[in-house]
Order: sequence, then structure tokens, then C-alpha cells
Amino acid sequence: MALSKFDIFSRTKSNVAWTLSVSFAAFIIFLLLLVTGYLLVLGAGSLSLEFFTEIPSGNVVATRDAAGKVIEGIGGMKQALIGTIILIGMASVVGVPLGMLAGIYLSEYEAGGWLATPLRFICDVLAGVPSIVVGILGYELLVRPVWMGTNNAWAGAAALAFIMVPIIARTTEEMLRLVPNSFREAAIGLGATKAQTIRQVVLPAATGSLVTGVMLAIARVAGETAPLLFTALNSKYTPISLDASFPFVHVATNNAFPSLTVQIFNYATSPYVEQNKQAWAGIIVLIALIFVLNLAIRFAASRSVGKTRTS
Amino acid sequence: MSESTTPASISPADATSAAFESLHQRGNRLLNGDQAMAMLCRLAAISVLLMLGALCWVLLQASMPSIRQFGLRFLYTSEWRANELEVPRRVDGKIQFDADGEMIVDVKPAVFGAATVIWGTAVSSAIALVIAIPLSLGAALFLVRIAPNWLRPFASFLIEFLAAVPSIAYGIWGLFVLAPFLQGGSMLPGWLQWAGNAPVLKWLTYSGVNYETPDPADTAVFFRGVEPMLYAVFGNVPGLAQFFQVDGSSIAFTGRDMLAGGLILGVMILPIITAISRDVLNAVPRAQIEGSLALGATWWQSSKQMLAYSRAGLFSAVMLGLARAAGETMAVTMVIGNVNQIAMSPFAPAQTMSSLLANQFNEASDIQRSALTEVALILLVMSLLFNVVARYLVVGKNTQSA
Repeated sequence: MALSKFDIFSRTKSNVAWTLSVSFAAFIIFLLLLVTGYLLVLGAGSLSLEFFTEIPSGNVVATRDAAGKVIEGIGGMKQALIGTIILIGMASVVGVPLGMLAGIYLSEYEAGGWLATPLRFICDVLAGVPSIVVGILGYELLVRPVWMGTNNAWAGAAALAFIMVPIIARTTEEMLRLVPNSFREAAIGLGATKAQTIRQVVLPAATGSLVTGVMLAIARVAGETAPLLFTALNSKYTPISLDASFPFVHVATNNAFPSLTVQIFNYATSPYVEQNKQAWAGIIVLIALIFVLNLAIRFAASRSVGKTRTS
Repeated sequence: MSESTTPASISPADATSAAFESLHQRGNRLLNGDQAMAMLCRLAAISVLLMLGALCWVLLQASMPSIRQFGLRFLYTSEWRANELEVPRRVDGKIQFDADGEMIVDVKPAVFGAATVIWGTAVSSAIALVIAIPLSLGAALFLVRIAPNWLRPFASFLIEFLAAVPSIAYGIWGLFVLAPFLQGGSMLPGWLQWAGNAPVLKWLTYSGVNYETPDPADTAVFFRGVEPMLYAVFGNVPGLAQFFQVDGSSIAFTGRDMLAGGLILGVMILPIITAISRDVLNAVPRAQIEGSLALGATWWQSSKQMLAYSRAGLFSAVMLGLARAAGETMAVTMVIGNVNQIAMSPFAPAQTMSSLLANQFNEASDIQRSALTEVALILLVMSLLFNVVARYLVVGKNTQSA
């Protein structure tokens, strides 16, 4: 290798490789901009007010009068937006505490113990399980036996929670490990118990980054379609209603439950152009949601780093 | 979180009194706060273990009927037939009749073999890797060694954002942009053509001719989709003609085929492999590069040193990409064409394990559902395998560099 800088052959080869590296990167960035560009332009072009305010009207083609003015459109995806938010909420209620507690266990109780290595490994492996397999688990556990084959919101939420838990557990563990040990030693030195140390010292010091982990998991499940196909499926009715009877807010959790992603999938593969358009609109809403979550994650992460340093 | 809870502002007196309080209560309660917290955390940890256990057990249990009925044949036979089939009984090639003159028929039970979908997953993932590996390694080298400082955060954000874009978004892009681009012709929906007619994008989606059967002699059109163009160039080359045929008859290009599935998977795993290999390459000690540069190595020679040094990490990056590609569902389902067949042609529609599940599971019952669950089980085992290999190599690499 020595003195090969003066070797014409090696220099040419190096220049070719350098050019390839640059052009590959340029090609990837071009490709990714192309994907996002199409999604943004076509998605934004297909957005309409009805998308947010109406449920599917049951028509697949808009009926128009003689002048071409739309009398009755195909409706929107209001119910799917609401349904997705409820599903994510239901999944978070179970998934967030479970994942966080497992993460705390890994970082604070069992950092080097016999259970830690397999547990960490299982979390990583679970995070890599194809989401459609999780959907089948949800079906076999909660749709076929308990609800007798009826698609329901609980199964969908459970499947999403299943995906959230390993992600949250691992990020929680990693974030808690960043809290300096001197914090824990100081708390214990002051006579705090382990639980007090965790609750009042370790967790508050890492709050920002814990929020990051949770939002990361939420952003991940917000876009999941496959686990919902066999569990919550989709519905064209608004899943939530208010009336005077207890408990006043009624959520139709025991039937097929609307979800944005499954509706996007159905509309995208449908032969009707207007439904295809709404699928693009749905995608742009979904991506906007994930983008906002991403920005929030970065914001929370940057704040928490500053906090740990100053305190 | 309010300021009073940050560690800096806990006064010693508060902490001590809290500790005394808990000491006081220790005798009175069945379970004090400390033990309860430990118990809760342990329960959560055990439930994570149970999650994997439940996943494996439930899938195994549900696919037992199929495993019992088809055994190992499931893995290498390619017939996937959900309905019973009545075939006339033949003896020496002659159809048999009973006393009333009725044809005697044998009923063949439903039969399932996963070879087609295993083939589909293997080939589409292979296409994805062939595309993604060189591109993402090149891009990772660019990000680590060449990119100016102002470009790095922008490129990193783009790559990380695209890793977070849901697969259904890639699916829609593949269905409405990639597939017409591959197919050419008039399949581009009218409302999409305004986008295709935008000056920048025109060459990408240009579709000048409406044709049903591609004619290799017609070269008058500048661009008519990737697949007809390939056919025009290679369709009559003796050794390559078979790649444009299924069972001896030529393919009507749909743009929704194995190639489209592989391409969309490749696009999807690009950001993942790039991001991980960028991190891996960043971890190569500077002395390693500077040493080789000092010895007079060219840019490429020192890059090869870097790649060789971090080969274990790069291999795990590829394995994680492969795990993602093999398990990916929605995008593939939308573009692969969903036909259960093993064809040598990349232009023929195919089916992967996950797309088979997405297409059939909701309508399946009994033994078909069991067979589909067995496909899911194979998928699970495969993804576990890829992940184990990837993590193991990452662990090995860490201990080596430590």
C-alpha cells in the first residue's frame, strides 16, 4: 500500500470509488426527495374539508348535477381519524407503563443480573417481529376466542401495545442509564429508599428523554396497518358518541373499529379514483402527524440534554 | 415537570423525613412502597418475557393442525388450494363410471404448501438487498468521509424521517408512481397525469402510447415504462427471452410484480441500512484511517480499511435491513401482484409470506387459517433468526473493539 498515491491505477480507482460514493448518496437523497415530494404534492392536492368533517357516505363515486357540481360526495375519514386516536390512546394506556416499568427494571434493578441480558435481547427481538405476525397473535388471542370472531378495538389496541412495549422498554433503559450515578448515590446517601430514588430523582432527571421514547413508539404504531387488519379492521361509523346515559361517552369498542391506516389501504387498493385520492389525503395527514411527533421528539430530546447538564 | 422535582432542588431535610416516614410505615403495611415498586417492575419485566412466549406458543398452537397434516411437505410443495377438488377417477387413463352411468369422482382435500411464498419472500428480499447494499454503503461512506458539515444534519434528518415513514405510504407511492413507471402505457390514473406532466417529473412518468401487448419493434417512443423498454432491448436475446415469459407465454406487463416488490422493499430499507452503517463507520477509530492515509493510501484504500474494520457492524446493518424486508407487509402487498406462483421472471406477479397473510387471513377458516398461521410462524422464526444473527454480530463487534 505504501507509496501507492503515485500509482496511477490506484488513484484512478480511488477517484472512481469516490465519485460513486457521492453519486450514490445523491441518488438516495434524490430518491427519498422524490418519494416525499410525490407524497406531499399529491397528498396535499387531494386534501379537502370533507376529509376531516365527514364519515364515508357509502357512495364510491360522487353524484353530480348537470353542471358537474357535486351533490353528494364520497364523504371523508373523520371516523378513521377519531378511531386511530382512540386506538393509540388505548394502546398507550397499557403499553407505556408496562414498557417503562420493564425499562426501569432493566436499568435500576437488574442492570447486570442474570435476567438482564436475556430480557434486553428479547426486547430487541420483539421489536423486530414483523407486525403482521403480531396481528395474527391479536386475532388468535382476542378476536377468535374472546369475541367469537368479531373484530374489536381491544384486540387492535393490544396488538399496538405489543409493538410499543419493547420499544419503550429499551429507550427507557437507555435514557435512565444516561442519568449520572452520582444522582442515585446522593439520594441514597440522604436516606431515600430505592423507590423514592427512582421516583423522585432518576425519573424526573430523565423526563424529557422518556417522553422521547414514548413519542417514538407512538409514531411507530400510528403508521401500523398490518396488525390492525385482523384485529380492529375498519368501520365507516364514528366510534364515539355522547348522550345522557351513563357513562355519557360511549365508545363502540366491541365491534370492528375505524382506523386511518386500514382505511387508507382499502381506499388505495380500490378501483375508484375518488377513493384513491382520499387515500393520498389520508397518507399526508398520517405523515404530518408523524412529522410533528418527530419534531417534538427532537425538541424534547434537546431540552432534556440541556437539563441533565445544567442540573 | 415542575422545577421542584429536579434533583438539584431536593432539600436534604425533605429526603430524610421522607425516608423516616417510610421507615415508620414499614412495619404496618403488608407491602411498603419500596417493595411494591420493585414488584411492579419485576412483573413488567416478566410480562415482556411472557409476550415472546405467548407469541411463539399461540402461533405454534394455532398452526398445529396444519403442521400435523402437511408436515415438512409444507415447506417445499407449492400447491395452495383452499377448496376441495373433484377429479374423475381414472384407471389406465379411462374415466370410470358406476352402475347408473354416473362418473366416479374422487374428492381431493384442500392442500397447502408454502414454497411459492417462501420463494417470493426470498427473491423480493434479495432484489431489495442487491439494490440497497451498494447504494447505502456508498451513501454511508459519503456521510462519514465526504459530506460537508452543513449537509450532515439535513441528510441525517431526511434519512431518519424516511425510516419513520409508515410502510403504507411507500405502498401508495409504489402503487401509483412506481408501478406505472415500470409498466408505462396508460395505466397512470388521469388525475395523476398532471403530476406526471410537470416538467421535472415528465420524463419519469411519460406515457405516450397506449398498448396492450408490447411490441419490441416499436422504438419510436422515447420512454414507455421500464419493463417494455427492457423487453424491447432484451426480449429477443436467446438466453434472456425466458425472463419475459411465464410457462412459455409472454407476460402482459402490469408493473405490479416481483420487480416492483423488490424495488419498493429496496427503497424502504435504504434509510435503515444507511443510518446504521453510518453509525458503524463513524465508530471506526480515527487512528485507523489516519494511519493508512499516512502510509500513502488513496481515499478508496483507506475506505476499504474502514469497511473491513467494521465489517461485522455492516453485516448486522444488512441483516436488520433483511429482517425488515422479509417481514414487510403493506407496501409489498400493494405492488407485488399477489399471484401464488414460482416464476423465473421478475416481471411476473408473485406473492410473499406477509402479503399472503394480508390477502387471505380474514377470509380463511379451519385448515386454511391454520396453514396461514404456519406461514406466520415461519415468518416469525425467520425474523428471530435474522435478528439473533444481527445482534450477535453487533455484540461480537463491541467486545472486539473494547
